Amino acid sequence: MSNTTSNTGFEGFGAKAIFVRYGFLIIIAAFVAFFSFYTDSFLNGSNLLNIVEGSAILLILALGMTLIVTMGGIDLSVGIAMDFGAAFAIVAMKEYQVAWYFAVLIGIAGGGLVGLLNAFLVVKLKVSPFMATLGTFFIGSSVQRIFTNGGGPISYRRVAQEYRDLAVGDIAGIPTEVVIAFVVLVIYFLLLERSVFGKRMHAIGLQQSAALVSGIKVRHYLFFGFVFASATCAIGGIIGSANLRMFTPLAGYSYLLDAIAAVFIGASIHPQGRPNVPGTLIGVLFLGIVANGLNLLGLNFNTKDALSGIILVGALALAVMQKRLR
Amino acid sequence: MSGTNSVSRPALFSAGALFSAAPLIIFIVLLIYLGISAPNLTDPATINLILKQSVPTVVVCLGLATVVVAGGDDVVSGGIDLSIPATAIICAGILADQLTNHGSPLWSAIALAAVAAVTMGVLNAVLVVAIGMTPLLATLASSVAAVGVTKVITSSRRINVDHPFVIYIRDANVAGVPSAVLIAAVFVLLFCFAVHRTRWGMQLQAVGGSRDAAEVSGIKTSSLVAQSFFIAALAGFLASFFVLARGSGSTPGSEENLLLEMVLATFLGAAFSPRRIVTVWGAVLGAVLVTALSVGFKSIGVNVFWTGCIKGTLILIVVASAAYSGRAQS
Repeated sequence: MSNTTSNTGFEGFGAKAIFVRYGFLIIIAAFVAFFSFYTDSFLNGSNLLNIVEGSAILLILALGMTLIVTMGGIDLSVGIAMDFGAAFAIVAMKEYQVAWYFAVLIGIAGGGLVGLLNAFLVVKLKVSPFMATLGTFFIGSSVQRIFTNGGGPISYRRVAQEYRDLAVGDIAGIPTEVVIAFVVLVIYFLLLERSVFGKRMHAIGLQQSAALVSGIKVRHYLFFGFVFASATCAIGGIIGSANLRMFTPLAGYSYLLDAIAAVFIGASIHPQGRPNVPGTLIGVLFLGIVANGLNLLGLNFNTKDALSGIILVGALALAVMQKRLR
Repeated sequence: MSGTNSVSRPALFSAGALFSAAPLIIFIVLLIYLGISAPNLTDPATINLILKQSVPTVVVCLGLATVVVAGGDDVVSGGIDLSIPATAIICAGILADQLTNHGSPLWSAIALAAVAAVTMGVLNAVLVVAIGMTPLLATLASSVAAVGVTKVITSSRRINVDHPFVIYIRDANVAGVPSAVLIAAVFVLLFCFAVHRTRWGMQLQAVGGSRDAAEVSGIKTSSLVAQSFFIAALAGFLASFFVLARGSGSTPGSEENLLLEMVLATFLGAAFSPRRIVTVWGAVLGAVLVTALSVGFKSIGVNVFWTGCIKGTLILIVVASAAYSGRAQS
């Protein structure tokens, strides 16, 4: 893409310069101000914690997406990987009485399978990531329907308390799912922003042929990236299944666009317009703030859906505009 | 990918040719298999049913093919419009709500639906051309917004429609051919002519082939790309009538299946073209074949949950073989 633009246009202090630098942060501030003005409880400590807790699963998926977009791809099957994570873990415990920690590993491996299919399609068969992951999305959705005989949830009420605590427990007063999301965040930050591995991932995303010429084993990196991202998404699914004590087929789909949006919002905040881990975090929190605020306004379910869709279009347009102006 | 026009056709029986013909071969084998195991598949009545069922997909495919022709067939950076099914659904929702819940006259319902379609077309064009979003992201986002607004309009409920106009599209036959098929055939001819036989269509193809080359030779590329999104929204609008007729009303969530069939049919259609590029008539043929498969599988009693799996696999075979033959030729 057009990442060759230099970022030298920051001398001015005009409205444009401010917009280019802080545009999106101003929008977030405006939403926070709006919601705290129109609702009583938005700025409460417990509600702010709600926003963070409610964003944990999306953050995990969005981080996986960040990795794929960094490599120059896109992953439409993050939701499937999430569903598979939940399905594998719940079924392992329910049908095979597997210990909860083992079930977690099985769930992560189940998500990894989705990534394995993506990686095979993209790396071996040279299918574009969009078409490959779209195909995976349809196959994965269909498999879930077949497996559950049409999409009924698989519940397991007697799930181990430790497993349940992944979603509802807390560590030193902080919800466990927030702690898990934070750990994943740190791992991704170190991996993508502070390591040679991350530099190479960015190189592949910027120009694959150049990365290849400079000796990067592009195929290995792509393969690892797809599997790692899907395995990450499975963690999100495991937390979701721990919360409800059931596997809900096709639940991951609702996170897809939000994950993409968070990554692109994050990229817009970056000086060079690259996808990046801190930016993704800001994008996720923005979406969390909007969802929470619209909830507190007490809107009808359908109206809320429509409004958040429209806000999403506006936010993405603004994010891309900000990036282009650099 | 499809930028160069000087690609020579591969030898008839080389491995490359066989590979690039794989989607076609698989389709033909599947159809023959279905024809044998479900003998009534070739009845005139069944063929009529298949054609009728395929009409909504055919019409949305007209829009997607136009966008892909103008934007190039790289799905991420090139042209794609994932919002056409959402446009069809929002228009169908408005029509159903107006006709059934408000008892509005047909013309005003159509006018309101047209306003929604124009809004979608303008929104996509602005997001892609003026703001510079990748079409994939822009149309994915606008489709979510449209689906959300549709939920508000229809309160996420099914709305039955028994307006004579919709019943006419659903049931009427002209000389033994369903009226929906005849109307769609007119649209297909119009789109084929416009995209493949006019000066405007040639310019559209030039933009899709190489935006830079088209720009240098004086074509207003931005305007053409914007027009393609506008036309795609128009296709969504036209498709909404057939969506209403096929379902005898508007049903929430029906955009997902339409999206799958649209993408599959359009990119499968590329396999029918000698240069393996997306064409209007290829997309139409693809849409009819995909529907034939759906009807065929249903008639031999394949579990309906499997169809997504089969179609997803078909998409992958099509694009993998296209990627393979692209490499073999370059």
